[in-house]
Amino acid sequence: MKKLFSIGVVCAAVMAACSPASQEPVKIGYIGPLTGDFSGLGSDTLNTLEMVVEERNAAGGVNGREIVIVPADGRCNGSDAASAAQKIVNVDQVDVIFGGMCSGETLAAAPIIEVGEIVALSPISSSPDVTDAGEYIFRNYPNDALKSTAMAGYFASEEYTKVAIITENTDFGSAFRDAIKAELPEDVVVFDEVVEPGTKDFRTLVTRLKDLDFDVVFPNLQTPANIAAFMQQLREQGLEQPAVSHDVADTAELITIGLEAVDGMRAINVPSVGVGTELEAKFIEKFGDPVMGIPFVSHSYDAVNLLIDALIAADLDEELTVRDYLNDLEVYNGVVGDFSFDENGDVVGISYALKEVKDGEWVTIADISIDQ
Amino acid sequence: MQLVINAFIAGSLAALIAGGLAFVYGILGVFNLALGQIALIGGYTTWWLYQVHSVPLPVSIICGMAFGALVSWLIFEVFINPFYKRHRFLPLVTTIALSMILDAVILMVFRERPRSILPGVKEQISGFGITISPVQIVMICTTLVFLFLLAYFLHSTSFGRKIRAVTQNDIAASSLGIRSGLMHRIIFIISGVLAAAGGIYIGIDTSLTPVLAFSLTIKAYAAIIAGGKGNIWGAILCAYLISLLEQFAIGVHWFGTFYISAGYQQTVALLVIILFLLWKPNGLFVSSSRKA
Repeated sequence: MKKLFSIGVVCAAVMAACSPASQEPVKIGYIGPLTGDFSGLGSDTLNTLEMVVEERNAAGGVNGREIVIVPADGRCNGSDAASAAQKIVNVDQVDVIFGGMCSGETLAAAPIIEVGEIVALSPISSSPDVTDAGEYIFRNYPNDALKSTAMAGYFASEEYTKVAIITENTDFGSAFRDAIKAELPEDVVVFDEVVEPGTKDFRTLVTRLKDLDFDVVFPNLQTPANIAAFMQQLREQGLEQPAVSHDVADTAELITIGLEAVDGMRAINVPSVGVGTELEAKFIEKFGDPVMGIPFVSHSYDAVNLLIDALIAADLDEELTVRDYLNDLEVYNGVVGDFSFDENGDVVGISYALKEVKDGEWVTIADISIDQ
Repeated sequence: MQLVINAFIAGSLAALIAGGLAFVYGILGVFNLALGQIALIGGYTTWWLYQVHSVPLPVSIICGMAFGALVSWLIFEVFINPFYKRHRFLPLVTTIALSMILDAVILMVFRERPRSILPGVKEQISGFGITISPVQIVMICTTLVFLFLLAYFLHSTSFGRKIRAVTQNDIAASSLGIRSGLMHRIIFIISGVLAAAGGIYIGIDTSLTPVLAFSLTIKAYAAIIAGGKGNIWGAILCAYLISLLEQFAIGVHWFGTFYISAGYQQTVALLVIILFLLWKPNGLFVSSSRKA
């Protein structure tokens, strides 16, 4: 009897080792805007995900297991992102999540992801609120709170004392508006208007700006098309004040649409990581020019590779979870630079750059370091 | 003064689309929720011809409108004609489905990048306290001419008379030998041309993105409801009026003390329209239109 039992144990162990369960594919969930206004963001990030997964599968996947992608459309808004998260967490039961992309998506998906105890790594979400979104929410894109500090510092160094701000009423836009207003001295903001999402007609606001004395204007809008429309209408009315914006402006699209209207426009953004690298060439060969620019592709590329590294490590070591792997990460040498995560899952080690449109191209004119 | 000009720039667009919508809704009683998509198709076609294939701009514009006409004719045959006589709400469902299909098609064909027919700064001229570009003057005037031609067509040609006859009483008109089916087709195609012109207008003024369509349709509905059912001129006037209200709401320094926040621009304009409707429930211009 005892012998039989031990044979049974051996058999069970052998079966467990060979059982097809361990050869099941590893699922990476994706939440991002695949349709709607911000689908450019979605196609760039999903394309990057596909590219990395293809490379890593060719290199053996997760210890021999194939990696598959489970995409869901978050449409850059909370309600769609919540149902997308619901689906990939509870129905598809993915192993990790790459996303959300828009901050609104990440914030709405976070509670569902927390309950499911699955790690989500966002390559783009920059809202300060993401810091406190949860234990399982990570990002390798810097917090806007730091960018608004950098921007306020820049305004001070240029001695701009009258700032006009026009904000598009989205999670991203209003968070940035609150952050920059908190950074600037009280009487510096001389014009502060919030417009409905999707507004392209800024003519009447520009008419009001005409009667106002201001040093610099900050179009805090959600898409390059909207910033281009604003800049056209501003310059058409003969207003020559400098304009400074953030990552949204830092795209090739802004220049295609705005042409001379955006000449000399400046932006404070993460450095143009990935430009001129092998990654850029690879991406363009496979998918054509990225819609939103190569920096987003670079952040996505690092995020997906890091997630797969974490999956491999967690697969080898029973004791280790993906979350611990990211929390304990000393440093990751990515395309975007060397980075790690702090206790809130926010990225550490990424700096900012000041860029300007010169002769129809974005060029970096200065580095802005941030002291955290 | 600049506010009025701003309103004309924004209002011309709204008027083109509202005019097209009022035409179809007022006459056929059909809700066409895919009109915004037809506008985008017209705009994108023009962009494609002008920017990608360097076809001269006027030719591109005419082709864009012609393509809008073709698409709307196909839509009529497939999505409207088999349904609208059975129940007037059926096309509501079919055109919602159609609008989703077209959204996806536009996204696939033209990708998610914004496209501008005339990118960059337009040359400006100033005077009398206003600044405007010649392009905008041409656009405003073209719209007015276009709408005027429509009026002439409707009121001073025998063809227009037939259309008005169908508008007033479909069956009576048929019994007098007017081919009402043909008239319905023509009406639908004209609405498509107006919408396509609207799309081209957006492409020239700012930029086209694949997701604009639905908000265009909604704004046009506001204008035709305010203008009164079946009153094309009411709808067009109301489109201009709503734009004017929107610009004044945020552009005027009310009582010299405060500005209304730009976020309430549309809300304020639509609230004013609702107040008007409480006073005149059938639409602002319904009494001034000729009945039968």
